[in-house]
Amino acid sequence: MSRRGCAPLRGCAAVMHAARRVVRRGLRASRRVLRRAVGRAYTRWRRSIQIRVVTSTLLISAAVVAILGAFLQQQISAALMEGKIKAAMLQLDEGLSMVQRDLGGPAADDDGRLERVVNALKARSGPSGLYEIYIRDAKNPYYDGYATNELRQESVPQRLREELRRGPAGARDYTFGRLSYIGRDREPGLIVGGKTGQFELYYLFPLTQEERTLTRVTWALLAVGAVLMLLLAAIASLVTRQVVIPVRLAAQGAQRLAAGRLEERMRVRGEDDLARLATSFNEMAANLQEKIGELEHLSQVQRQFVSDVSHELRTPLTTIRIAADMLYEYRDTFSDPAVGRSAELLQSQLERFEALLADLLEISRHDAGAATLDAESLDMRDVVLRAVGDVQHLAERKGSKVVLQLPGEPCMAEVDRRRVERILRNLLVNAVEHGEGEDIIVSCAADRDAVAVAVRDHGVGLKPGESQMVFDRFWRADPARARTTGGTGLGLSISREDAQLHGGWLQAWGEPGKGSQFRLSLPRVAGAELRGSPLPLVPPGVRDSRAVYAELEAGE
Amino acid sequence: MSARPRGLLRVRPPLRALAAALSLLMAAGCASVPTGGRVVSGRPVDRSDQVDDPYVRLVPVRPRAEWGPAEIVSGFLAASASFDDDQKVAREYVSPATGWRPGLRPAVTVFQNRDQPIVVKESAAQATVRLEGDQLGTIGPDGQYTADPKHVEVTFQLGKNQQGLWRITELPTEVRGGLLLTKADVDRAFRTVNLYFFGPDGRTLVPNSIFLPLANRKDLPTRLVQALLVGPTSWLAPAVRSAFPSGTRLRGAITISKDVATVDLTRQARSGSPERMSAQLAWTLRQLSEVKQFKLQIEGETVTPEGVGATQSVRAWAANAPDGESSEERSDPQSAYLIGAAGHLSQLSGDLPQPIVTGAAGQLVRPAVTPDYQEVAGLSPDGGQVLAGTLVAGSTDIRPLLTRSDPDARFTAPSFDRNGVLWTVETTKDRSTLWIRQRGRAPVRAAHWGLGGRQVLALRVARDGVRVAAIVKMDRRAQLHIGRIVRRSDGGIEGGSFLPVSSELQDAIDLSWRDYNTLAVLGRAKSDSQPLPYLVPVSGGAISSLGVGALGLPQTIAAAPKSPVLVGTRSSHETRVCRQRSYRDQFSEWVCAIPGSDPTYAQ
Repeated sequence: MSRRGCAPLRGCAAVMHAARRVVRRGLRASRRVLRRAVGRAYTRWRRSIQIRVVTSTLLISAAVVAILGAFLQQQISAALMEGKIKAAMLQLDEGLSMVQRDLGGPAADDDGRLERVVNALKARSGPSGLYEIYIRDAKNPYYDGYATNELRQESVPQRLREELRRGPAGARDYTFGRLSYIGRDREPGLIVGGKTGQFELYYLFPLTQEERTLTRVTWALLAVGAVLMLLLAAIASLVTRQVVIPVRLAAQGAQRLAAGRLEERMRVRGEDDLARLATSFNEMAANLQEKIGELEHLSQVQRQFVSDVSHELRTPLTTIRIAADMLYEYRDTFSDPAVGRSAELLQSQLERFEALLADLLEISRHDAGAATLDAESLDMRDVVLRAVGDVQHLAERKGSKVVLQLPGEPCMAEVDRRRVERILRNLLVNAVEHGEGEDIIVSCAADRDAVAVAVRDHGVGLKPGESQMVFDRFWRADPARARTTGGTGLGLSISREDAQLHGGWLQAWGEPGKGSQFRLSLPRVAGAELRGSPLPLVPPGVRDSRAVYAELEAGE
Repeated sequence: MSARPRGLLRVRPPLRALAAALSLLMAAGCASVPTGGRVVSGRPVDRSDQVDDPYVRLVPVRPRAEWGPAEIVSGFLAASASFDDDQKVAREYVSPATGWRPGLRPAVTVFQNRDQPIVVKESAAQATVRLEGDQLGTIGPDGQYTADPKHVEVTFQLGKNQQGLWRITELPTEVRGGLLLTKADVDRAFRTVNLYFFGPDGRTLVPNSIFLPLANRKDLPTRLVQALLVGPTSWLAPAVRSAFPSGTRLRGAITISKDVATVDLTRQARSGSPERMSAQLAWTLRQLSEVKQFKLQIEGETVTPEGVGATQSVRAWAANAPDGESSEERSDPQSAYLIGAAGHLSQLSGDLPQPIVTGAAGQLVRPAVTPDYQEVAGLSPDGGQVLAGTLVAGSTDIRPLLTRSDPDARFTAPSFDRNGVLWTVETTKDRSTLWIRQRGRAPVRAAHWGLGGRQVLALRVARDGVRVAAIVKMDRRAQLHIGRIVRRSDGGIEGGSFLPVSSELQDAIDLSWRDYNTLAVLGRAKSDSQPLPYLVPVSGGAISSLGVGALGLPQTIAAAPKSPVLVGTRSSHETRVCRQRSYRDQFSEWVCAIPGSDPTYAQ
């Protein structure tokens, strides 16, 4: 039973649930839309001085117009009513004096006389007239006086009757109320009443005309207020535009200047504050341009100096080399073994000096932008194999084994053979040098757009932040450590420059104790933009640990 | 010396512009109420006696708990004069068992005055109250007033209801279906309005004035048209025809928007002539100032009568005017005929009579001219003969038409109706006969004459040919009566159903139809020492005097629509015809500059 009773309930609950879901979704959607709209508006509000100024002008002028309008309305209404009340009182006085004259005598045949009086008074009543009249004889119990036209007696409010009854003879009172009619709608009215003897006389003035006047005034005020507000907003908008547009132009100029277009200048118009701003801006831009030009020139001179020094050193070095070779050849003939040892030392240091000089020349060529790409279509596997072959003996000497992970199919790419070999050689030498005798894994991969080669060692790895510094010139992981393999400290810098020359990336990853990996990614077609690499920068297997790696995109 | 003046008043150009703008603004702000300018003229409004002028209503009181039987009856009588909300308050005085519901057009017994009600018999739960008064007459449910002066005594039965309050349980027979009102109540709560029906010629409309309770102004058009659809009152019914097929009713209240009234009739109206129905409606509705145009609909479909658009003006249908079409179109006063100082029939040109008929044959008095200016009739100087002849310059064929049968008898001044029929009454001190002469035939007596046993001093047929006004000697007073003429199917003509028009005028001596609604009468009101001209509304409203200034001794009067009233007077030696300095102004001065007597108008 209960289950049967439950089923519709459950159905109902499901429906309710669905409905609630729909409602919730709708609410959420609308809230989202609203939030987005508010957000957009807020953003615009924050970004545009003009909108801010116009909005506040609108708000303030709306408040001012509302206050002024209410005040005016109240004044007009008061003036209208004052005039109406004055006229009504005069009318009432006239009516009362007529009642007093015609009915003031001894009471006899009051019915007929009362009717004659009201007939005389009615002349100006009715819809075409000004007022309605209600007159009553407090002493006649059988009828409640006479009213003109369709006026209902309820139009005279009880409070006015009581006030009149309490008041002294000849009292006159007035109040505002609603006049009700037979077969017509009620309308606002002014009711004045007076008493003479046993007779109460009321004049009821419809205020429809005044109401219409006030409505018209209200509409006129509203319209004028709206126009005034819009006008003020337009004026504010215009005025702010005059200020904001030069500021905006200045902002654009500054942006362009920041983007490197140093020749950017503002147009100076007139001699106002904004013109002064433009002049100052232009002066600043000129100064900046001058200083930056100077600095560029200095850097140019410095690079030229390094290049010149390298060149100039080569000539004496060749002579020294010949001499040193000779000494080295005859080192066994020196009686003093220490001299022989010196000759050997001279020979090895001279080789290092030459390598350093070559690297310096190379890097200065890069700095001068004189490096050119000599691209040809190659299979990267061959390049890798040649580079590995070059460092094979060195690796064996250090006890490291180079493990190759090459794909089955060729990895063709348009590259400069000399430069790519140099990069790989550098990476491999670097890996052997820091590999602590562990295995060195060289992997190669290719996809539609790019080829990549990664060199992984299992040495000490890199500390956080070092993965960027490794590419700095003359940077050493451990300054105290002796340079055993005779690296110049410029290898990785040159490699990076070479990779950039191809439009490729050279990136490093490393973690203390987990070794490091260097990845070279090159576009398949020389000059194409590189979007991704076929190999991961972080070697698989250490992914789960919190990787500290730098995505150094050489393209940027 | 600098070429530019360096004074205090020298201001810079922008400041000057600002000052100019400010002064302009101040000037604009100061201009508020105009104190001069051109004259704006409005359209003239004719303030005739419109039925929807301001009026006064009595405010009834509900029965009080402490009132006894006599007070209940007094309260009931006072409250029944109020038509508000279907006499809701008056019905509270009456036990629901009586089923008293007078409705919108009740029968009314009109009292001149009534005494205070007297409790005749009173027990714990029953009472009898007697009321005495002088009855003036009655108003039938169709609105027709019939004078019937008599002393009346009515009794009310009262009983206590379940709340222990006195209520009227039985009304006197006079009040069963209607009301018991004083003359003041009727004057206040009723309006006399005209309903228009077609006369026997099928062209001229005849006004039928009725008493209609004015419950409220908004319903007035509806009430008026409802009364029109019900048909003429019993008094006029035999003499006129309505163009509305019998059974035609309104499908709802008449709606008025922007001066256009929409009259929606039931399907019975399809068999009627839209033109004739529209003419009746137009003339009936033009009494209401708020209706300027109307649309006739039958079952919601607007009917377009020939000759006028779907939205007809109430001023259309002038061809059916009660005074004839010419009276509606005329703008200048028509020229009058009179008897010149030398005793010849003359036409008035300016202030000078131009004789038309000269010579001994042209000697007649009290002339009358047919509306087509073809024929003239008059009396012999002693009133013993009716003379008639063709109206051509120098005509000498004026011959006796009727000669008195009794040496004491006189003929009243002859009167032509629009069809050229001549009417005159031969009368002695105690009897009278109506003579009718169709054009080209011999005079005949009327088949029936309602004033046969009385002396008739004057008789004038209205321009519609249906109503007839007469001055009748009754109770030694000359009274003004209105009767109607019925043309029987056998060709016989009846004149009868005479009703007194006004009791305010005594000793009337002559009369003339000013227009279809008004008579110009020479008579004496209460304070007058001699007969003076008065305007008397046919519907029975208040009379008003005409003109100021000395008139001599008025003898005859002539009036016509949109023309000055002419009074023939006699002062010591000579007869003169007087007219007002400005005939459009009712109270303008009389000027007696025309030598002559017995003025008359043709149309």
